[in-house]
Amino acid sequence: MKVLATYSIKGGVGKTTAAVNMAALAAMEGRRVLLWDLDPQGGATYLLRVRAKVKGGGRGLVRHRLRLVDAVKASDFDNLDLLPSDFSYRHLDLVLDGQKKPTRMIGQLLASLTSDYDVVILDCPPSVSLVTENVVRAADLLLVPLLPAPLSVRTMDQLDSFLETTKGKPPAVLAFLSMVDRRRGLHRRLVDELPRERPDLVDVMIPVASAVEQMGVRRAPLVTWSPANPVSQAFAQLWQAVIRRW
Amino acid sequence: MLSEFVVVDDADVLSVDALGEALSARVESRGTERRGWLDTFDWRLYRAGLVLEHRASPSGRSGFVLSDPEGRRLAQLPAPAGGIPSVDDLPAGQLKERVVGLAGLRTAFVRASAEGPVGVLALLDAEEKTVARVAVDGPLVVAGGAEPLPVRVRVEALRGYGKDARRVAKRIATSPQVRLADETLFEAICSAKGLRPGVYRSKPQVRLDPAMPAGRAFGALLDELVGIARVNVDGTLRQIDTEFLHDLRIAVRSSRAVLKVAKGVFDEPSRSLHAAELKWIGDVTTPSRDFDVYLLEFDDLVDHAMDPEAMRPFRTLLRRQCRNAHTGLNRALRSKRFARILDGWPDELVASEDPGPEADVPIVRVGGDRLRYAWRQVRRRGNAVTDGSPPDALHDLRKRCKELRYLLEHLASLYEKRAHKEIVDELRQLQNNLGEYQDAENQRRLILRYAEELIAQNAPAKTLVGMGRLDHYFEHRQAAVRAQFADHWTRFDRKHNRRVFATMLESR
Repeated sequence: MKVLATYSIKGGVGKTTAAVNMAALAAMEGRRVLLWDLDPQGGATYLLRVRAKVKGGGRGLVRHRLRLVDAVKASDFDNLDLLPSDFSYRHLDLVLDGQKKPTRMIGQLLASLTSDYDVVILDCPPSVSLVTENVVRAADLLLVPLLPAPLSVRTMDQLDSFLETTKGKPPAVLAFLSMVDRRRGLHRRLVDELPRERPDLVDVMIPVASAVEQMGVRRAPLVTWSPANPVSQAFAQLWQAVIRRW
Repeated sequence: MLSEFVVVDDADVLSVDALGEALSARVESRGTERRGWLDTFDWRLYRAGLVLEHRASPSGRSGFVLSDPEGRRLAQLPAPAGGIPSVDDLPAGQLKERVVGLAGLRTAFVRASAEGPVGVLALLDAEEKTVARVAVDGPLVVAGGAEPLPVRVRVEALRGYGKDARRVAKRIATSPQVRLADETLFEAICSAKGLRPGVYRSKPQVRLDPAMPAGRAFGALLDELVGIARVNVDGTLRQIDTEFLHDLRIAVRSSRAVLKVAKGVFDEPSRSLHAAELKWIGDVTTPSRDFDVYLLEFDDLVDHAMDPEAMRPFRTLLRRQCRNAHTGLNRALRSKRFARILDGWPDELVASEDPGPEADVPIVRVGGDRLRYAWRQVRRRGNAVTDGSPPDALHDLRKRCKELRYLLEHLASLYEKRAHKEIVDELRQLQNNLGEYQDAENQRRLILRYAEELIAQNAPAKTLVGMGRLDHYFEHRQAAVRAQFADHWTRFDRKHNRRVFATMLESR
């Protein structure tokens, strides 16, 4: 079982869009996929039409009152299941803090699903917190969306520093440019400059497109209802980059 | 099982549209599909709790569905369009690894297939999220089956939405047009084709009564063994996997072992005639089996040759010889002589008007005598082996061990389990040592034989060097195994085992 996490310190950069589409692409290949929506906002949960509710909330899961597998909901798509968001996740840091080995809880919970899934995708809230530390320790690969903005290099540097301070073997990092608008001069310039400053940036760009907004209306991953769309194509390339990195 | 129904009167009222309307469900898909269920001949997937189905639509779309035996879907996997479905087509991942691992040496092939309409209804909640699916299958025409299977309605529960599935199943169950299915669709398809999923035996399972006349007891064993040989013929002819021939040969060899010890039990001319005919099968199947084994082990072997690429001409030669051997074998298996050999002769032997003098002696007495004799034969040959004995002496001992083993296995039901198991386990350890020695001996003979042939074909020097290395490897392995023989033999021939063997014989 491989664990992939979409993560960024910043919000609104396309984490959830990436997580949902990566999950759908993996499932379409025949992999058994679990998407865990750790963000209390529940964007991924909403996109998959599932009710944002976990019995017992985050506390129930962390304290093993509810088996992780019993909180899972099937999506409408073959091979793709969801562990929904719950508003109580906003206090997940506090719940984790009260546990022994608080940075390893999510990894330990996921270990119970090894035979059920080939891929687990964690959609993280935008923050640097105990939840993030858990995600970093549990993940094999961090998928990091970056906006074509001058601050993006600084965001990546901050992530590097954060990974250096966390315990255990750090996950591989795959950063990609997200919400790229080629009509804008600044985006065009940064698309050229950023890879020079950060050679670890993968050569895949997710363009900004109204189709991505339509996902909120259709409530389904873009790759499932418009596979030929350039954004879907870009996600397919990103998924291939993820597989290569594993 | 609780959520699968059979339509007793497949009127329009239970068409996909009608059912969708009745359940306020959306039609998710509909069409005609060709469906094939894959498993190994000995049902390794089914016995491990997996049902692997391949589905193909006329538009060219195809995929695999992996379910549990109760029909719960575990995964849906894409498959390439066209061609014969194979587990090789499963996408890489844990599931493929599991399926391939379960199949092992066997090939999962289409055990049963059917064609017919398939419709899927989706039950939605207030968010328009699918909370349960209802599949309407059929009527399905089963290949090789007599009648089409009636329409089936199956409620598929989705993880986390069990209540919704139970609710819809309850509603469907109230319809007078359906009855609860007493078997899954997979089982129904298999039944229609005359197959029983999970039921396979490579060894006879005859329970012998100690007082049973020896003639009838040996007849029953032979009848099962010939049956096992017979069911493996088709797979051997089609070369589905190498285990068909393997099981066919074991059944034939076991039959020969039974006929050998049945001297004095059956009508002698018939017994010796059938023994000779079975020997013929053994002989005509040996070359193919030898090549099968070489090729199965080849990839592991070439690692010892240092440069696997250099061994390509050797592999090509082996493959060609294997093909030729199987062509010859298929000719023999399709012959009238072969058909006669597998044609119900055990019954004739038992019913003979001129049986042997021991035909009516209880099997427990005859079996005990024959086991004692086989045991003595093994001991005599084993004790005669010295450090200087030629490979043939060990080969001869191995053959006697096999005869003893077959006899022990066939007569197992006559004896106390624990003592019997202990003796079989001890014998198995000795057989493993002898088997390894013989395998190395055979490999070396083969390498020498084909090195000469490859020289004649001007094979590259590095191929011959590689074969030399292989020979060197087997020489070492053979020497190491040979050095262990004395310990194995001393262990087998110890007083304790002799006592356990005697106890076993007296346990009835």
